[in-house]
Amino acid sequence: MLGMLLAAGVSFMVVAVPVWLIRPFTPQSEAGLGVSWTFKHWSPAFTLVLLVLGLGLVATVWRGASGWGRALALLLLSPLAVTAWFARQNHFEWMFAPLADPNFARVAEADWVGHDEMVLAVAQDEDAAAYPVRQLAYHHLVQDTVGGIPIVATY
Amino acid sequence: MWRSVLDGRRLTFHLAGINNQNFIMRDEETGSWWQQMTGMAIQGPLAGRALERVFHDELTFRTWRRERPGGRVLRPGTDSAWVEFSEDWERETAQYPVRVRRKLDSLLPPRTVIVGVEVDGVRKAYPLSAVERQSPLHDRFAGGTIVLVLDADGRSLRGFRAELDGQGVELFRQPVADSLRLVDVGTASQWDFTGTAVAGPLAGRQLTPILVHKDYWFNWKTYYPETLLYALGSR
Repeated sequence: MLGMLLAAGVSFMVVAVPVWLIRPFTPQSEAGLGVSWTFKHWSPAFTLVLLVLGLGLVATVWRGASGWGRALALLLLSPLAVTAWFARQNHFEWMFAPLADPNFARVAEADWVGHDEMVLAVAQDEDAAAYPVRQLAYHHLVQDTVGGIPIVATY
Repeated sequence: MWRSVLDGRRLTFHLAGINNQNFIMRDEETGSWWQQMTGMAIQGPLAGRALERVFHDELTFRTWRRERPGGRVLRPGTDSAWVEFSEDWERETAQYPVRVRRKLDSLLPPRTVIVGVEVDGVRKAYPLSAVERQSPLHDRFAGGTIVLVLDADGRSLRGFRAELDGQGVELFRQPVADSLRLVDVGTASQWDFTGTAVAGPLAGRQLTPILVHKDYWFNWKTYYPETLLYALGSR
């Protein structure tokens, strides 16, 4: 049981530390960024390993355990499952959904943009694209190709 | 705005962190983290590498439409989080001008909107209020002269090198009702907001555009601590 608790604790830390360090409106230190990247980069594999170990531990005690014992074992397994799942999520994209397949309208059809609204304008050869600032502020980044040049539009 | 190709490989980006407008993005291909403001990779296998900037303008939709009637406009998303965000945005931008916090020990109030310019590796910031008062605003720095120009709407912004054939170009605004017309002192040619001479001896000539960024002073200063600052009130 102690082993399970330890595993759950470690798994949680690996996932939670980057979430805490990379939160809005706070500056990140160089060290903080380094730690966050490393944790975030390895957390999918790491949490999966811990989950498998946890499953193994549960399996070894399962036969001899009472009903309550088994319930407790499964209860302790669930944080490992949750963190293993969370490690593979991008919670920023929950808050600001990415625009998977950017679509464009011709000027005459663009009735959702006010005359005085700001747009970021990119042009290459004859291809001219406008990205309304309001939309970029939400998605944060939009990937597109302008005049054959692949770009990532950011605001 | 960044070119998303590095070493011939196209990178696919995802949002990886938020810090106001300086968010972090991650490329799928290597997992590296990139700073949105500078286009530099700050963590991961590509740390230290830089994306190439893509030239862009920040214009009102009206100005852009006039110049690019055949252009295309990004369609909005349809998810509920976007709809909510969009409505909040409407409300917040209606509170123009932005409130400013004063800090005793800084050159400018931190949330002063500035226009940031880079010429030959040297950076300089111009309070937007100065540009609004003086447009076209000329300034000599980094061995050259630049001019910052607002369109007739007072909001679309461009920057140009104020030079042609090695000679300085000095522009004045003509009081014309609905469109921007600039006149240069040397030849009295007329120029429009694209930096093109539309009439006069220099007709057809084009001033070299320079990339300009609108940003908050504190943000610009954080990433470019060595930036120069345009002295308010100076000619």
